[in-house]
Amino acid sequence: MSAPILQVSQLTKRFGSLVALNNVSLEIREGEIFSIIGPNGAGKTTLFFNIVGLQKPDAGRVLFRGADITGKPPHKICDLGITCTFQVPRAFANMTVEEAVRVGAYQRYRGREVQRKVDEVLQICELEEYRHQRCCDMGLAPLRRVELARALATEPVLLLLDEAGAGLNPSELAGFMEILRRLNEEKRITLCIVEHVMQMVMGLAQRIVVLDYGEVIAEGTPQEISTNPRVIEAYLGKGAVC
Amino acid sequence: MTDTLLQNLINGALTGCIYALIALGLSLIFGVMNVVNFAHGDFVMLSMYLTFWIGLWAGVDAVFTPLLTFPALFLIGLLAYYALINRTLRQRYVTQIAVTVGLMTFLRALTQLIWKAQPRALPYSLIQGNIQIGPYTILASRLVSAAASVLAILGVYFFLSRTWAGRAIRAASDDLDAASLVGVPYRQTYALAFGLGSALTAIAGGLLMTFQQVDPTMGVRFGLLSWCVLAMAGLGSIPGLLISGIIVGAAEAVGMSLWDPRARSLIVYLLFILVLWLRPRGLFGRK
Repeated sequence: MSAPILQVSQLTKRFGSLVALNNVSLEIREGEIFSIIGPNGAGKTTLFFNIVGLQKPDAGRVLFRGADITGKPPHKICDLGITCTFQVPRAFANMTVEEAVRVGAYQRYRGREVQRKVDEVLQICELEEYRHQRCCDMGLAPLRRVELARALATEPVLLLLDEAGAGLNPSELAGFMEILRRLNEEKRITLCIVEHVMQMVMGLAQRIVVLDYGEVIAEGTPQEISTNPRVIEAYLGKGAVC
Repeated sequence: MTDTLLQNLINGALTGCIYALIALGLSLIFGVMNVVNFAHGDFVMLSMYLTFWIGLWAGVDAVFTPLLTFPALFLIGLLAYYALINRTLRQRYVTQIAVTVGLMTFLRALTQLIWKAQPRALPYSLIQGNIQIGPYTILASRLVSAAASVLAILGVYFFLSRTWAGRAIRAASDDLDAASLVGVPYRQTYALAFGLGSALTAIAGGLLMTFQQVDPTMGVRFGLLSWCVLAMAGLGSIPGLLISGIIVGAAEAVGMSLWDPRARSLIVYLLFILVLWLRPRGLFGRK
């Protein structure tokens, strides 16, 4: 078993009286594809935001390769090698695809190297034909790949994907999954995917954590999770397990 | 009659290019950090006084003072950002307005204290004389100022579209969270935008001093005028800002020549209200 790349321990986040995350602890290991699932409002996106620094947790700690990164600003966390994509794509609307990806590439490169990185990432994400299109003129499927490309241009070692498969048709989804699989195998990028599309979770993830009402209710392999009575109950309600 | 009108239109349009440059600075600040900087016009006024002062004591011509005042205003902008604006970013709008209005009043009082309330002007400028085109006479300093403003605007355009810092500013103005996730440090980007936005007033101030005088109450006029130019153009279009500036300058001139010199602002704001009423996002604004 490989070493943990990210450890979340007893993370708590409240919004007023709503407890969005309650003592969440989990561990993502170097090189794996990890998945977080759970019903709507379970706290998945909040968990991501607290890891990458868009929100600050009320309690608990986030460790990246053993170092405490709790509450650091997003650009510092990006510099360390963690970034995430948004549930609803938020590409820079007034930029071309190439420019948007360029912003990410500046994180590690200057001068000519920037273009090389941009080209490489556009090729991986199959976006070369869209290069000069403005982000605001694009459809959902390529836009999701723009988000991915922009994140990849920063050369993350851990990439968090928030419902990146939502709204894609089966062939787009298959293509997207293929890209992710390649990133994991060839670039050795550790992936953490939050997802509702079970086809994607079951097809990619090696380990799964289930969140419900801000708490971890189950953890295991896809096989274990799909037969876990507590998980079925969380998704379908009590009495669904016969 | 038509000749006088056209003559005034040309003069107004040329001055309008400087308005556009001032509004560009405001647009950088507002577009990136959503801060309404009421002190922006007073930065212009301060630049004009600095130009006057440098011209008087060091004998540097107003055309060249931006070489000194540009970095000075950039630093003043940084100082204002870190000392004041940075602390109000997470506050309510009212707090931000109070702070920038406070800065505005402070700058005005400061210039009154240092340079007294009377108008000041530089005795001469390198660019002298008139250029005769057909029946029209154009003040050389006005023409040079307009050309320099357009050049400065082009410079900012290239900075924003070609350099990494410029792209960072645009990314942050589009979506701050997304930008910070791909490594754009937001405080530094904000500081840069505020510094640059303020520094642009140094160019405008120097150019204005080649044919105009300055007094401490001028800030408000430039502040409101640049807001007017920006709101009429809408956010996000630099060529639109230039056109909007020219329209405002021309409207002022037409108001003065057809109606009454005292009506110059009246026409501008009537036009402003009309544009916002018919097209709230501005003439060239993005959706």
